[in-house]
Order: sequence, then C-alpha cells, then structure tokens
Amino acid sequence: MKPPLRKKRSFQRRKVCIFCADSGMKIDYKDVKTLSHFITERGKILPHRISGNCAKHQRVLTTAINRARNISLMPFSIVSS
Amino acid sequence: MRRYETIFIAHPELSEEDHAALEKKLRSTIAFMKGEVIKLEDWGAKKLSYEIRKNSRGRYFLLDYLAAPGLVRELERHLRLNDQVLKFQTVKVSDTLNPEAVRTLMEAGSAEILPKAPEVPPPSAEPKKEGLEKATAEGGEDK
Repeated sequence: MKPPLRKKRSFQRRKVCIFCADSGMKIDYKDVKTLSHFITERGKILPHRISGNCAKHQRVLTTAINRARNISLMPFSIVSS
Repeated sequence: MRRYETIFIAHPELSEEDHAALEKKLRSTIAFMKGEVIKLEDWGAKKLSYEIRKNSRGRYFLLDYLAAPGLVRELERHLRLNDQVLKFQTVKVSDTLNPEAVRTLMEAGSAEILPKAPEVPPPSAEPKKEGLEKATAEGGEDK
C-alpha cells in the first residue's frame, strides 16, 4: 500500500512561499485576514510543508499569529461543536 | 527614542467619562515622560476570539507612540491599574529613531489622521472593518 503513495508524492510540484513571491505582502499581527489563511479550521498554525512558506517567513508568521492570539484577535483553538 | 504600539482592550460598555479619563491619563503620561503620540485609534467594540474576564466583546484601541524605554513600563502600569482595561499588548515597531525621522513621521502621521476623521461617522457594522484594514495598511507603509 505504502510504496505507490510515496511515488505519487514525489511528483508533486514544490510550493512557493507567497511572501517571497509577492514582496509587497507584509506580515502584520493586526492583519487578521491574511493571517487566517495560515491556520487550520481548529485554529492551529499550518506547517510550512502544507502552506509552502519558506523558513524565514514561517518564523515571522508564527510570531505574528501568536501576537494576534495574545490580544484575542485570533483564537488559540476552535472547539468544534 | 523607539516607536512602540500598544493595543489595549477596554470593557465593551466603556462609558464616555471613563474613555475620556483613560485617554487623558495615557496622553498626559506620555507627555510627562517626553514621549510623543503618533496616533490613537479606536477600533470600536469587536468580538473577542476567547472570553476575557467573562466578556465576549471588547473595545479595541491602538496607541502608536514614540517613547524612551521607561515610559512603556509606566504606561502599562496605568493600564494594569485601570479595571476598565481587559488586556493590553505592547510591541516595539522600530528601534532608535533620530529626531528628524520623528518629525517627518509626525507630519506624515497628522496627514494620515486628517483624512481619516470624516470616515468615522458612517454607521453600520462595516466601517469598523474598514478602519482595521486601513490601520494595517498604514502600519505596513510606515515600516
């Protein structure tokens, strides 16, 4: 079961960090709209292997999301009802 | 001088007097410690992502200012003492600004604030969101 799956994955195109691709985009903890693209439905931060962010921007993004969480602009967790 | 911004969440039903008193207190503290206010924005009552002291809504304020390090501690002390303030967070926006940069910033700041004033009156829920977007856009430019 597993080997064919792996083969398929290796053909996937590598995602590009959208913050590198678009230099006009800034990561700001007050900009909830942009940040909300990088969290899951439960409010967790998406790993960079899914979002495609580079290490540098992933780091900045994490800081921004944590700041937004601290001041209640974003949730720490969303409990599904 | 460094540039800081403090977001504080006040009680959603903040009375006019408390609002005025709080604003006056913050401004006088900053003036007393030789800081300078760039802007003070009122985002209005917004829904909180989680409850703070049993409140599910809170009135957000963004205070953008220049200060020497000691001022932040003093300002936060006042916010902590005020029971109308639910939560606050201070972020350093930029390090060591020279006086000239400060002056141009102030001019740019006043230019930013003037056209924004007429936008506040329109009622309904949407203006708040617009205000927030505007704030973030400006924040980005300033950096």
